[in-house]
Amino acid sequence: MSAPAAAEKTRTAPARAPAGFPFGFYRYRNYVLFASTSVFMGLGCIGLLEGLFALGHGPDAWNAWLAHMARPFDLALSLLVLAFTLYFVFRFGWVGRKIGAGRIGPLPRPPLPLPVLGVAPLGGFVVLWLVLLAILGGLLP
Amino acid sequence: MKLIHKLEPLWWILFGAGGFTACFFLPALILGVLVLAPQGLLGDGLAYERAHALAASGLGKTFLAAVLTLVIWHCAHHLRHLVLDLGGHGLAAPAAFGSYALALLGTVATLAIVAAL
Repeated sequence: MSAPAAAEKTRTAPARAPAGFPFGFYRYRNYVLFASTSVFMGLGCIGLLEGLFALGHGPDAWNAWLAHMARPFDLALSLLVLAFTLYFVFRFGWVGRKIGAGRIGPLPRPPLPLPVLGVAPLGGFVVLWLVLLAILGGLLP
Repeated sequence: MKLIHKLEPLWWILFGAGGFTACFFLPALILGVLVLAPQGLLGDGLAYERAHALAASGLGKTFLAAVLTLVIWHCAHHLRHLVLDLGGHGLAAPAAFGSYALALLGTVATLAIVAAL
């Protein structure tokens, strides 16, 4: 009996978008909205880098950058960036409850209801933000 | 695309680490530096001398470089998949190479700006 020819790989069907994608169904819209947070968070990083660049060029450049960022258009853009970032964080943190609800290796499941498991990581995030804001505001050294 | 697929675990590590980093720090940085400070609502907290001292310290530089770099890589990976989902698999290669090239550029810019503080 001869050796079988090299087994052919199973060919998968070409990927195709489901009907109504990307805006025809609320779950698709949420998915696209979540993915689009990357654009706004990226803009936020560019804004922070601009600020750091100005900071490295002396007090005049820093104050000029602050004045520039105080204009209504820049303020509106910053608030939009913040809104998308918060949307990302709350969706990301809310997934944490499902991770916590599962078994991870030998660790037992935490004896907490699902909503509490979601509130815990989000509460931790908010505490960290308050500490960081206190440092930025000069309330903490 | 072979190299991109081979490095997929690396993209996912950067994506996950950047996501967590964004959750921990990004909202407060955006609110504090991009919204409150320009409006004068942080008092002297981010006056030049203090802002520079915070950012230019060893801890400050490490923190800023790590946060910004990881979030940039997170955004790049998310953007790659957004383009892929909206544009189809014909855009797989440009989406991957374009996103990661932007992230690499962002990383170099971040490290240069932070080092010059």
